[in-house]
Amino acid sequence: MTRLEATRRLRVLLKTEAVIASLGHPAYDLFEAGDRAENFYLWGSMGLASSIGLGIAMAQPGRRVVVLDGDGSLLMNLGSLATIATVAPPNLLLLVWDNELYGTTGGQPTATAEGSDLAEAAQALGIRQAVTVREPEAFDKVVDRALREPGPWVIVAKVGESGTASKPPLDSPMIKRRFMAAIGCPE
Amino acid sequence: MTSVVQVSWAREVCRGLAALECREVVWVPDNPLSHVLRALEQDHPDIRTTIATREEEAFGIAAGLYLGGARPVVMLQSSGLGNSINALASLNVAFEIPVLMLVTMRGGDGEWNPTQQPMGRAVRPILDSLEIPHSTIESADRAEAIVRHVGQRAFATRRPGACLLARALWGEAGSGKREE
Ligand SMILES: Cc1ncc(C[n+]2csc(CCOP(=O)(O)OP(=O)(O)O)c2C)c(N)n1
Ligand SMILES: [Mg+2]
Repeated sequence: MTRLEATRRLRVLLKTEAVIASLGHPAYDLFEAGDRAENFYLWGSMGLASSIGLGIAMAQPGRRVVVLDGDGSLLMNLGSLATIATVAPPNLLLLVWDNELYGTTGGQPTATAEGSDLAEAAQALGIRQAVTVREPEAFDKVVDRALREPGPWVIVAKVGESGTASKPPLDSPMIKRRFMAAIGCPE
Repeated sequence: MTSVVQVSWAREVCRGLAALECREVVWVPDNPLSHVLRALEQDHPDIRTTIATREEEAFGIAAGLYLGGARPVVMLQSSGLGNSINALASLNVAFEIPVLMLVTMRGGDGEWNPTQQPMGRAVRPILDSLEIPHSTIESADRAEAIVRHVGQRAFATRRPGACLLARALWGEAGSGKREE
């Protein structure tokens, strides 16, 4: 399954969850799958999607938070897995789109192409509910479970590239205000 | 036991945080910050402290806390500002996400570790280039007022704001204790 197909499958399961998308293709595909006010699209800050999601989950314990990270981006901030394990927010789902590439910058291979295993890394750093999925049916099943049962969850989804052309708005302050209003803390 | 002077500056800083209704502090360790953490624990048990593995990560967590309705603080050593520049630029400044920074300043006169000098010198030019306002705290009696002032401006204008904690504030003159 491609990242866009997987993002569309996730989109069907979403209700009021806050969704944070890492820069580049993960954000493009989230926008393409259907814009919503509870989406927060990064345009930079490579690596920080999981940290931002952790902060939101801490501030809003009553709301589910879903982070859509890239394998390259998570590799840039692996310490985040240790902090998530330590804080252990039950309302956080970190979904890693592992295409084994820096897809947005031209398709250079990441370490996961050579066998680095991000779900095992998450487990080793203390996140017990960390799994890898490849098939659409298995993806639906584990994501549905992670949206209902206490986490933190890390789901590494092995995906292919999508080639999405559409892009989220460039007006970052507008996205921020819209997002904050939608999750109940207007500025 | 820590000296009365050290506890007093740390307590004044924390009083400023409490007055600003900051209840989330994300931090990466530095020696003087342990006094702030102790003062938080003793005087402000309602303020949550979260340790991060890297300063850039701390700014990411703090940005998320702000999006979720909190008024976040990040505490770091001056060296850690170098680890955080892209987060401050592409997240805090670009999205207009405020954060109150408490930065323990290394380098300068009295610094024993030469590798701290270049980054210590670069702190103010870096903040200036990002148009992040900063004020230096040099004495305990001004600490609470400066923290409040910098924090109020940061949260009112939706920009980061930095309090630079000078060696004159936290230094242990004559104690012979080294800061790592
Ligand atoms: C700090 C920083 N370094 C490098 C880049 C360039 N860059 C933008 S997206 C990207 C690749 C991201 O890869 P991944 O997270 O795996 O997502 P993918 O594009 O594969 O979906 C890179 C290297 C950047 N924007 N910021
Ligand atoms: Mg990738």
